Amino acid sequence: MSLEIRNLHKSFAGQVALERIDLALDGAEFVCLLGPSGCGKTTLLRIIAGLLAADRGSIRLNGRDLAAVPTRERGFGIVFQSYSLFPHMTVAQNVGYGLAIRGVAPARIAERVAGLLATVKLAGFGERYPGQLSGGQQQRVAIARALAVDPALLLLDEPLSALDARVRAELRGELREVQRKLGIPTLMVTHDQDEAMVLADRVVCMNRGRIEQSGTPQELYEQPRTRFVAEFMGHSNLLTPDWLQHAAPSLLAGMPADLGPAGAACVRPERIALTPGAAGGGRIVEVAFMGNFKRVRLEWRGRELLAEVSSALALRPGDPVSVDIAAQDCAWVMA
Amino acid sequence: MSGHERHDERALPSGEEEPMTAAPLAAADRWLMRACLWLPLAALLLFFALPMGFIAWRSLMQDDGGIGFGNYLALLDTPGVWQATRNSLGLGVATTAITLLLAFVLAYGMDRTCMRGRRFVAAALTLPLLAPSLVLGLGLIFILGRNGIVGQLLGIRPDIYGFHGLLIADVLYALPQAVLILRAALRCADARQYEAAEVLGATPWRQFRDITLPGMRYGLLSAGFVVFTVTITDFGNAVVIGGDFAVLATEIYNQVSGQMRFGIGAVVGLLLLLPAALSVWIERVAAQRQAGIGAESAQPPQPRIARGRDGLYAIACLGIAGAICAVVATVILAGFIRLWPYRLDLTLKHYDITVSGGYASLWASLAVSLIAAAAGTLLLFLLAFSVRRLAGWPARAATLLATLPVGVPGLVLGLAYVFAFNEPELPWGALYGSLFLLAMCNFYHYHTQGYVSMATGLRAVPAQLEEAVAVLGGGVGRLLADVHLPALRITLWAVAAFLFMRSMVTLSAVIFLVTPERSLSAVTVMRLDEAGFTSQAAAFSTCIMAVVGAVALLLHRLTSRGRTR
Repeated sequence: MSLEIRNLHKSFAGQVALERIDLALDGAEFVCLLGPSGCGKTTLLRIIAGLLAADRGSIRLNGRDLAAVPTRERGFGIVFQSYSLFPHMTVAQNVGYGLAIRGVAPARIAERVAGLLATVKLAGFGERYPGQLSGGQQQRVAIARALAVDPALLLLDEPLSALDARVRAELRGELREVQRKLGIPTLMVTHDQDEAMVLADRVVCMNRGRIEQSGTPQELYEQPRTRFVAEFMGHSNLLTPDWLQHAAPSLLAGMPADLGPAGAACVRPERIALTPGAAGGGRIVEVAFMGNFKRVRLEWRGRELLAEVSSALALRPGDPVSVDIAAQDCAWVMA
Repeated sequence: MSGHERHDERALPSGEEEPMTAAPLAAADRWLMRACLWLPLAALLLFFALPMGFIAWRSLMQDDGGIGFGNYLALLDTPGVWQATRNSLGLGVATTAITLLLAFVLAYGMDRTCMRGRRFVAAALTLPLLAPSLVLGLGLIFILGRNGIVGQLLGIRPDIYGFHGLLIADVLYALPQAVLILRAALRCADARQYEAAEVLGATPWRQFRDITLPGMRYGLLSAGFVVFTVTITDFGNAVVIGGDFAVLATEIYNQVSGQMRFGIGAVVGLLLLLPAALSVWIERVAAQRQAGIGAESAQPPQPRIARGRDGLYAIACLGIAGAICAVVATVILAGFIRLWPYRLDLTLKHYDITVSGGYASLWASLAVSLIAAAAGTLLLFLLAFSVRRLAGWPARAATLLATLPVGVPGLVLGLAYVFAFNEPELPWGALYGSLFLLAMCNFYHYHTQGYVSMATGLRAVPAQLEEAVAVLGGGVGRLLADVHLPALRITLWAVAAFLFMRSMVTLSAVIFLVTPERSLSAVTVMRLDEAGFTSQAAAFSTCIMAVVGAVALLLHRLTSRGRTR
């Protein structure tokens, strides 16, 4: 399977929703569209599903243009945040729905449904109605329903957002497992960067209708190319060259020559080493205890920094600290 | 994968005709969608827009054969019309004031107090909706008329005909509709506002003044206009109990049916559109504002027990509900009494109706109501379903067209039908005199209410479920069968029952359309009453109420079962 999106544009009543979107999906990849609400990620998913038409640009599935192919003939599977099961059908009928539409023999449907229900850990639930299931169970049924038709592409629209934290973490793991096992190319929309990092082979970070950066979760975290990615993928300290010039000139060593005017060095909080002691010139402003670590706000050479340190380190507001940042921990964001 | 590869060989339809923003549809789906939209729209144009065009055109056709404003000028020389207008306005204002007051007491009593008998009050308030409006007038005559039970007991001959009788009858008739609107407004309130006020130290009176009344202002406004419109366009009570007190509704009937002055009738009909249209517009604005008041997560306030207040409300509400019950019960009873109110032994002889065509009109009404319910529900469903898929100005235009009929009083719509369809040489003239045309007239009379229910029901259908069907490979047919019909089952039955019940009892829309050979039940009640067969009129009314009441009960059981599931 290969899905290729080229130069896609979409606007609603003059409001640009998507701009110059280029994206390719290959093999059994799990791709996450990540971004804040209103960034266009759901619009992109809906255009791929055929629920919306693009203004310009092309989408090709295995080389074939999808522009004129109706949703129902694309052969995809979709799971929404809101479960969206048929309330008057049993779990088994829900899961077998797509197969029934395709005219598959009832016996084969039953066999396939039983297998899928076992895959999503709902064996024996076939005769129940969606109203009798918990949210997490309903979403499993929705996933099984989407998988039943052997979709060319599995589309997930914030599938875990409506669930409790515990169920969400559990289902997250199962989703990844099932996707790996069945090898179905998957595109998931989410605003939760943790979710994206755990699940995705590749994260496509979107902002204001554009793709900011695309890469493995590690790439996006360690080498963000824009301020937006740096700030959206976890916490960061963005240090401008001007400030570095007088505060920590040694960190400018790795600065690219073509850095733009908005360029900066991105230093992740856990890469900042703090040592209690009066000599360093830093002063703790606030300490938040997070369990396995402490998140610390501190004053250092005329600006505020965010650091994360072991919770074993005893730090209190007002304490003096010395600050160490290594040059190789600076990722340079270009804009 | 074999399932969808099959489709790959098909010639792909070009999406040129579709607007760029809409998703592409399969060719068959596109045709189905078009049919879903254009069938109800064509019917709406033929059975609503066309007659309205005809009545407007007819108002410009002068008696001398020319085209102009002659009829409008002639109106100035028709003193009866002016007197009727003054009477109608006065009656409308008085009815509105009294109805709003009583409706407020009833609504507040039912929703905001713990008074006893709330179920009885609610049941009593459905009674006027089960019968033709003139049944209330008829009942009042049995109680307070010259040969009424009160006069008989007190040895006097009171005169109920005229303004006062009409006022009481109209108040009773309009009351349920006003209570419905006010209760809806009361339910929009948020308990937390009251809790906040309580914590801040506001007295109950202050809470009422600062929270309850402001929250109800749009509800009161819209209820007021609905009552006013209902009053000045009601025909049944005016003809039964109005006596010499001429109002616009009876005047238009006299001009057309009595004096054959169709041009003047058309002009008066168009005049009647003004208050109705204004009322509809105000109601729409009010509804939007009201929607803005109620927060998404609002929790309706739960009344607490307050003995004194609950008792007062119980007395007032049970009194009003009792009056409604008494009037309706009197009609039912009078149908079984040998000679009301002199010889009170029971008899069934009034049910042996041979005059005014006997029971033929009841069967005709049943047929008309069934057609209106079946065809109307189908058309409304298709319309609401396809309008949901439109966007931008076509959606707004279709919605406007679908909601326009509520601004047209039944009398005006009926007259418009006469102008449009009593034209044998026109292609649609063949429909004139048919049960189908009567059914369509009744359906479009109540089109808007049905459409609003349908659209509200459809709003509860999750859009993502529809999309899931599309992605899983289902077309429009699947969408209807697997998403909409199951989700809308109760709404569909409710709309069908509503159309059936209104169709059974409405008088004003069909009064111009019936012929001596093909009458309808509400018309028969009026004719029986006019001819002095009041006991037979009561018996006939009872038959109508039995049919409509049975349908209402069925619907009630269906919806309450649907809710508990």
